[in-house]
Amino acid sequence: MNDKRPGIPTYALLGVLALLFLYPIWWAISSSIKPAAEIISDPLGFNLGDATLDGYRAMLADVPIGTGFANTALVLAIKGGMTLFFCPLAGYAFAKYKFPGQDVLFGIVLLTLMLPTLVLIIPLLLEMSALGWVNTYKALILPGSIDAFSIFWMRQVIAAVPDELLDAGRVDGASEFGVFRRIVVPVIRPGLAGLAVLTMMNVYNDFVWPVVAVNDEKHQTLQVVLSTLAQNISGNRIGADFATVWSELLAASSIAMIPLLLVFILLQRHFINGILAGSVKG
Amino acid sequence: MSALLQRRAAPYVFVLPFFLVFAAFGAYPLAYALRLSFTRWTGAGEARWIGLGNYTYLLTNPEFWASLGNSSIMWLLVVPVQLVAGLGAAVLLSNAKLRLRGVFRVAFIAPFVTPLVAMAQVWIVVFDRDYGLVNHALNLAGLPDVGWLTSTAWSKPTLALLFLWKTTGFAIIILLAGLQSVPGHVYEAADLDGASRARQFWSMTVPLMRRSLSFLLVIQTLAVFQMFAEPFVVTQGGPYGSTTTAGLYLYDHITASDLGTGAANSFLLVILVFALSLISVRLLRARDE
Repeated sequence: MNDKRPGIPTYALLGVLALLFLYPIWWAISSSIKPAAEIISDPLGFNLGDATLDGYRAMLADVPIGTGFANTALVLAIKGGMTLFFCPLAGYAFAKYKFPGQDVLFGIVLLTLMLPTLVLIIPLLLEMSALGWVNTYKALILPGSIDAFSIFWMRQVIAAVPDELLDAGRVDGASEFGVFRRIVVPVIRPGLAGLAVLTMMNVYNDFVWPVVAVNDEKHQTLQVVLSTLAQNISGNRIGADFATVWSELLAASSIAMIPLLLVFILLQRHFINGILAGSVKG
Repeated sequence: MSALLQRRAAPYVFVLPFFLVFAAFGAYPLAYALRLSFTRWTGAGEARWIGLGNYTYLLTNPEFWASLGNSSIMWLLVVPVQLVAGLGAAVLLSNAKLRLRGVFRVAFIAPFVTPLVAMAQVWIVVFDRDYGLVNHALNLAGLPDVGWLTSTAWSKPTLALLFLWKTTGFAIIILLAGLQSVPGHVYEAADLDGASRARQFWSMTVPLMRRSLSFLLVIQTLAVFQMFAEPFVVTQGGPYGSTTTAGLYLYDHITASDLGTGAANSFLLVILVFALSLISVRLLRARDE
């Protein structure tokens, strides 16, 4: 690239944009610890002296947010584990082997990449009810547990690993899986870290499938718990209660945002480099 | 097992788990949905074969076209803005001499990491007509209230803003990755020829980035036509159906137990999205050929 030293207009433009991007997040979190009435009377201001956890207390009393977190964590652990194990393995097969039927099989991977999730919602839901899986963890975890996008991405990442390394491993007597585990995995660690963060984000934030697949409180993921809160209270728009309701909503939204934001800030280098490593080059 | 045999079998074993999951939760439901789209079925009792009935019903139904119209307007509000602004931001951020580069990157990508449902709720509060932050700020500036979520004119731009806020960071990273592979000497030559920065952007950066741009175009076109959580949480499709996107309209068939029509609607949507992706990628390619 042509790297001229950037001038003040560049910094001003980027600075204003960055503030616009961060402001809604800061506003939601800071307003969630305001007294309810102030969210309405003084939405722009933020007086630290009045900080209160009332919104959080009301939210905890109203919705099973703990259950939501626990369910999300469970789905995250199993579904994330499956993605991180099977997708690089399949990506490795497509990147480094030549085998009959390869093009057809990879074509299917690419086609599923283009398939809108919404097409599958109705038949998947019917399949779940035929299997007796509605309101089970199986329904939340198994569909999409090994996804085409991650395979496609891992194939890109693994294609960059030199073939000589793999052959050296084979000469040393490693099995085919041994080559993957002992040579490929260590080399693509940045790409794997990126995949881990992206998968975590997708599963944590997933909404469309969980909202149709489970409707009992016991199995609701965090996002579903959040959306039911919004629907239960969106009708309530009277005076002071209205402010309390908002305060509750902001507390719930903030508590859902904060864990992932923390992970992102801690791992941002891996996250950004991971995506940069795997995406389509110009 | 001999090493050679193992080596022949290995790739099939490695890709097998994906194909098992795909067969069970992708191919089977897809085939089932195709069959379902030719029947009338409420989810209970017998499904009745009605041939192309669901398709002709949808294609002659104004609500179906309205949902496509809503999604098309959303597309226009989101995708061109995102591609141009995202590329501009990516060019600025790719400059190695830019200070605070890491901070800016984190700031732009942070919204992408926040849960959509949580931010959709924040949007309800921020853009409320009577008590929201935005109208409060407008009033302070001496301007009247705007019905961001209650007027049919503003509901779409307000949701489009949520979508843009949430996903532009993703577009920026994809474009940054693309920019990394643009060779620097191309620009040095252009500098020697005295080409202006704007000229370089339009006649060099944009064409050189066309693969990244078409990738984003396809991904974001898919995303906009499937847009669901934003209208579902923020506006429930209102006011007056102005934010009933193609994705939300499809979901309405599930809640109405009109499953055959829903399945047909899915396939019409797939065909449309494929066609749109093809056309837009072609257009992008044609510009510099």
